[in-house]
Amino acid sequence: MIEFQNVSKVYNSGGKEIRALNSINLKVNKGEIFGVVGFSGAGKSSLIRCVNSLEKPTSGKVIVDGHDLTTISKKRIREVKKSIGMVFQHFNLLNSKTVYANVAMPLILSKVPKDQIKQRVSELLEFVGLGDKAQVYPDQLSGGQKQRVGIARALATQPSILLCDEATSALDPQTTGSILELLKKINKEYGITILMITHEMAVIREICDRVAVMEAGKVIEEGTVFDIFSAPKTNTAQNFVSTVMHDQIPPSILNMMERKQALNHIFHITFVGESTGSPFLSQLSKILDVEINVLFGNITELQGIPFGKLIVEIQGADTEVKRALSYMQAQQILYKEVIAHAS
Amino acid sequence: MLVNSEQIIEALIQTIQMVGFSFIFSIIIGLPLGILLFVTRKGQIIENLPVFTVLNAVINVFRSVPFIILLVAIIPVTRLIVGTSIGTSAAIVPLVFYAGPYIARLVESSLLEVDKGVLEAADAMGATPFQTIFRFLLPEALSSLIVNFTIATIGLIGASAMAGTVGGGGIGDLAITFGYQRFDTTTMLITVAILIVLVQGLQSFGNILSKKIRRG
Repeated sequence: MIEFQNVSKVYNSGGKEIRALNSINLKVNKGEIFGVVGFSGAGKSSLIRCVNSLEKPTSGKVIVDGHDLTTISKKRIREVKKSIGMVFQHFNLLNSKTVYANVAMPLILSKVPKDQIKQRVSELLEFVGLGDKAQVYPDQLSGGQKQRVGIARALATQPSILLCDEATSALDPQTTGSILELLKKINKEYGITILMITHEMAVIREICDRVAVMEAGKVIEEGTVFDIFSAPKTNTAQNFVSTVMHDQIPPSILNMMERKQALNHIFHITFVGESTGSPFLSQLSKILDVEINVLFGNITELQGIPFGKLIVEIQGADTEVKRALSYMQAQQILYKEVIAHAS
Repeated sequence: MLVNSEQIIEALIQTIQMVGFSFIFSIIIGLPLGILLFVTRKGQIIENLPVFTVLNAVINVFRSVPFIILLVAIIPVTRLIVGTSIGTSAAIVPLVFYAGPYIARLVESSLLEVDKGVLEAADAMGATPFQTIFRFLLPEALSSLIVNFTIATIGLIGASAMAGTVGGGGIGDLAITFGYQRFDTTTMLITVAILIVLVQGLQSFGNILSKKIRRG
């Protein structure tokens, strides 16, 4: 659907060359929600802007729905743009126009007959839950409502691709949730491919199927959301994952343990899918002569698969602890001794 | 008092004529030039450095000539356009040369205030440059344009006073020939009062109109 082939983008800023994109190769499949995450300045913005030709790559190819944007004429690019909707961080609505006129704008530009515009706009406003706000001006709306208008506008021409440029970054957490729900609904009901860039890992976890992590103009890691969240490889990806999935012993508990000098056998246990449901910790203490002390726990759902992390202290004789470990191995439970915290 | 009320009314009509017509013609010239100045800027929708540079320089040249000198300097042009270099209609030509470039600058500055995000949205929708100007830029800038046009009109009232030099007449001319040169204090006070009312009225009108349109 969207394919980046060796895409680079170099800016000249005050005589200094800035490489915003560095040989990007990426493929977004039809019908999926693809997220790109990275710190500011990582090149996410440039990346998404190459998809609808708001920016032109310095080299490489951007292929959207079979069209190579780097070779076709300006007029053709304008046509392709009409099959791509875009939602912006700061909404970018016309303040001088009503909600109705804002949503109608892409249709007016395409010279759609008035009665059809009327029908389509009321349909869209109904869909985004703003059926009663047609004659209101954007300055009378909340941030979330403005973004709903932005989304309705982006969908007006029935695009096959929706680009979301930090679409929830200016919104509070609750509103973010409702906007993400709406995006999910769009993806499901209309089968629209969504490419979104964000610096919020929670957004990625919430709705994306696949994710790419960007740093310094490069895609440094790419995979399904499950893979990246359960086993991030690069430092940056680990940092991003840790913003939403804590796997550290809370400092207060650590202090307490240190005072008691009890930091002996601390393990980091990861459950995936089925194993999340089995009461293996209580089994351990029943079968073996060990006591289990849970220091930290976090169970979440990634793309419908339960995923849990536990930090436990296993108290008991060394031989018993060893037996406990082999039991875990037999149950195919991933564990790792947390050496860093042992004193 | 050396003038009667009929003379004052006649002068008022002349002023309104001069300011009104030159305002209309200045908009006809200044608005497209201002738009062109904006859209040919670096990074704008039809970026064109040569056009921008030349236009920018030409506008600066006209803007740097004091009106009283412009008035005399373009007499041949005035004669070419209206067939005479004296009278109310002859005064309109230099007023347009004065206010046209001024309005172009004001239009440019109004357009520069438009949120870049809105233009990006236009680009993302596949709007043509023409659609971007008329569907996005001008509606978003309208409120600010009205404020700036008010400023330009008031500037024209001031400049029209000097148009008496070429026999344009008007309130300002009355103030100079009778109030100043013949020491008629009453005429001076009346004419100044009329000008104050005119300027205040226009400014309030512009402010109200702009406020009514402005959103967000």
